[in-house]
Amino acid sequence: MKNNSTTTTRFLKFSLAAVVALCVLIFACLTIYSDKETKKTIEEVGTIYMTGMSERITMHFDTAIDYRLSQLENVVENCPPGLYSNETLWERLAASAEAREFDYLSLYSAETGEERFYGGNVAVSDPAPFYQSMKAGEKKVAVAESATGIRMLMMGIPAAYPMKNGGTSDAVLAALPIDYLQRMLSLDDNNSLVYCHVIRRDGSFVIRSGDAFRESYFDRLGAMFGGKDSEEASQHIKDLQDAIAARENYSNIFTAGDMERSHIYCTPLPSSEWYLVTVLPYGELDNIVNNYNHQWMRTMLGGCAIVLVALLLVFARYFAITRQQIIQLEELRAKAERASQAKSEFLSNMSHDIRTPMNAIVGMTAIAIANLQNPQQVQNCLKKISLSSKHLLGLINDVLDMSKIESGKLTLSADLLSLREVMDSIVNIVQPQMKAKNQKFDVFIHNIIAENVLCDGVRLNQVLINLLSNAIKFTPEGGEIEIALSQEESKKGADYVQVNIRVKDTGIGMTPEFQKRIFESFVREDNTRVHKTEGTGLGMSITKYIVDAMGGAIDLTSAPGKGTEFRVTLDLAKAEITEQEMLLPTWKMLVVDDDEDLCKSAVNSLREIGIDAEWTMDGESAVQKAIHQIQCREPYHIILLDWKLPGMDGIQTARQLRQKCGNDVPILLISAYDWGEIEEEAREAGICGFISKPLFKSTLFYSLRQFIGDGDIPATESAPHRERVDLSTRRVLLAEDNDLNWEIAEELLSELGLSLERAENGQICAEMFRQAEPGYYDAVLMDVRMPVMTGYQATEAIRAMDHPDAKDIPIIAMTADAFAEDMQKCLDCGMNAHVAKPIDVDLVARLLIKFIEEREEGRR
Amino acid sequence: MTLKECYDAMGANYEEVLGRLRSEKLIQKFALKFLDDPSYDLLVTSMEAEDYAEAFRGAHTIKGVCSNLGFTKLLASSSALTEALRNGYTPEAAGLLEKTKEDYAATIEALRAFQNTNS
Repeated sequence: MKNNSTTTTRFLKFSLAAVVALCVLIFACLTIYSDKETKKTIEEVGTIYMTGMSERITMHFDTAIDYRLSQLENVVENCPPGLYSNETLWERLAASAEAREFDYLSLYSAETGEERFYGGNVAVSDPAPFYQSMKAGEKKVAVAESATGIRMLMMGIPAAYPMKNGGTSDAVLAALPIDYLQRMLSLDDNNSLVYCHVIRRDGSFVIRSGDAFRESYFDRLGAMFGGKDSEEASQHIKDLQDAIAARENYSNIFTAGDMERSHIYCTPLPSSEWYLVTVLPYGELDNIVNNYNHQWMRTMLGGCAIVLVALLLVFARYFAITRQQIIQLEELRAKAERASQAKSEFLSNMSHDIRTPMNAIVGMTAIAIANLQNPQQVQNCLKKISLSSKHLLGLINDVLDMSKIESGKLTLSADLLSLREVMDSIVNIVQPQMKAKNQKFDVFIHNIIAENVLCDGVRLNQVLINLLSNAIKFTPEGGEIEIALSQEESKKGADYVQVNIRVKDTGIGMTPEFQKRIFESFVREDNTRVHKTEGTGLGMSITKYIVDAMGGAIDLTSAPGKGTEFRVTLDLAKAEITEQEMLLPTWKMLVVDDDEDLCKSAVNSLREIGIDAEWTMDGESAVQKAIHQIQCREPYHIILLDWKLPGMDGIQTARQLRQKCGNDVPILLISAYDWGEIEEEAREAGICGFISKPLFKSTLFYSLRQFIGDGDIPATESAPHRERVDLSTRRVLLAEDNDLNWEIAEELLSELGLSLERAENGQICAEMFRQAEPGYYDAVLMDVRMPVMTGYQATEAIRAMDHPDAKDIPIIAMTADAFAEDMQKCLDCGMNAHVAKPIDVDLVARLLIKFIEEREEGRR
Repeated sequence: MTLKECYDAMGANYEEVLGRLRSEKLIQKFALKFLDDPSYDLLVTSMEAEDYAEAFRGAHTIKGVCSNLGFTKLLASSSALTEALRNGYTPEAAGLLEKTKEDYAATIEALRAFQNTNS
């Protein structure tokens, strides 16, 4: 992996470097090529320019010379030979020459030489070819020098004049300063980029311009190249000389020494032995081009840099992404490794755990086979095999659960669940084991808000059994174990109830280190104390997982040697269906238990099912209370006795009660234990039956229902198949004169969803009923003692009305009177029932439902 | 002063009424309304006017309200007075009226004390 990563990095680095190099190379090549092309183009342009220039200058030269030669011809035409006397002719010639701005005039004869007529002495610098031409009768121009050293332009045309020495001339010669040519050709124009020289065949200057000072142009060239480049210079000079000799155009570009690059163009001038040398120094042009080139180079470099930076960014990003991926891969790999390590640990632990009971089974089977003739031995072996099999089965179940959990396949169903049934079944399951270990077991149930909840029953059972069997396992003989179930308002809202389950034991406890690891898989406290304890070590992690999956929490407190307490908190949805209406006759009952919470919750539950209950916490006071009630002529209908009581226990108390109060009252024994052992003794002591903890409302109802006599069958039990009446759609007329009582009644009854309408006294009540549409009111709740018209009178009035509802609308009295004769009076005057104040909402609701149902049933 | 202390002060059973009305707020609301309940005035004025039928109705209403609110002590005395007046005036009525007045005063005092500490 690491190797890979460095390879990738190296590749990235190399390719980056290569791309950078390629980039630089391409840009450099482009620059050089463009530089070259530019130079070439410029040279071409230069050549074209200089050719044109030279042609123009040549033309100028031609024109200028022609002009001067024609002037000289004019001189000759003006003084034709033989027209004038010799003296006059010569004077006229001189005057004519002066008029035409010649500085010198002479006649030339090949035999006698020159004869001057006008101007100072002027000598032709290179007389041989000039005079040769004169002799041959040609027109010719040449350079001459005056006596004062001024360079002159000498020109001659053929003319036959008489000469002073008596001969006849061959030609007329005239001269003028060479400046004229220079001016005419504007060779000295400083503004022009180009400057020109006119040279002779031997290189000597005819016209010098610029900074030239030497006599020969070849010397100048040589000097320009300097000593060290003389080879190159002589080559140039030779080329030039060859071109001159052949009277050809010559063009060349050279860089002489440290001078700027120049372009020379040499072309022969007509009607002379002269050559025009045009020089174009590239300095200025090169500067411009170089500027342009520099600009171009900078732009190129800038572009290159931008491309490189962009590339670099792309590379960096790509590199970062690659790195990220590599890191992620690394993490995934580590995770997978950890998982596989956990799996193999799981397997090795598993195989050990499975082998142990398997060995026992195999070994015991072998022993059994060897002892077939000894039934006792075989039986013993089979027992052990059975135990080990069960253990193995449990182990396999746990492993299956665990693998389900680990693969995320454990799902929870939402069964409708009665907590009472769950607790009942749990208690039944664990009780035999506890009895076997002689452990004291207690069940506490209080504050039950909703007995029916939505929860996965199998998994909840599993959690409870895990916790309880752990408690049994780790609690020595004679220890105590208790399970408590309570409920409180859930933070998740009114549709939920928070269920708290507490499992506490006085067992061996756990070390703090172990407490941290208890919920991990295959963990068992590994020391001598726990050595003989059996189990998969998966129970707690499964428990934890289930509780987590249910959205609950589990925690524990424990101390070695003191015991352990596990607390499970679950937020469970309350079951949607309403609890089956449970109603028992208004018996008076006594609950005796040493746990105050149990007493209170039992009394509350009893009240909810219609029983008026009292409670006390020990046997002695229970007996006294029972005697007192008999004296008041209101004996208890039923007495619930806890078995384990401080002082006198349940059975002794029952004996006392039988002695003092006779045999009429049923006495039930409350017990969390299997009562098989004590049943005989209890029956002897006068106990009629048993009721098992926890005391849920439904437990109480179903246990007590059997004691209902023929006369008092609760109304709601008579027709369980009937549709339930929904009170929230019902309208009730409530006659109540007292504001406070009205408000209380309204507050409590509107909870049922009833629409209530108030009548302030009996008369108003009767009037409201009279004016109501048939079927408008579903029932009337009637206070009895009211001003103007009492409840009795109002009821009689209503019943006497000619109104479709008058005869059968349920009228229920609500009064502070609770005497039997009062009740009778109510019934006598036409009311259906009587409830005593304080208002018991549940009772009123039940009565309303009952009478509304009966009425609707009767009308069908 | 808490509502429970108030109930204890007037000799009433708070747990019982809480079990029935289920909310402390409700109990408080109704208990404080008892201060404005006209039945006691009806009882006293009717007794003075020797209108024993009306006096019976007043006592009966007090009994009903007390039973709803769980004012155990006043419920007991008003209950006894109600029975003494059920069939017109009886000699016990005067003594029972005094007892009822006494308990009523104690109840009102406790309620006022509670009201003051909570207002």
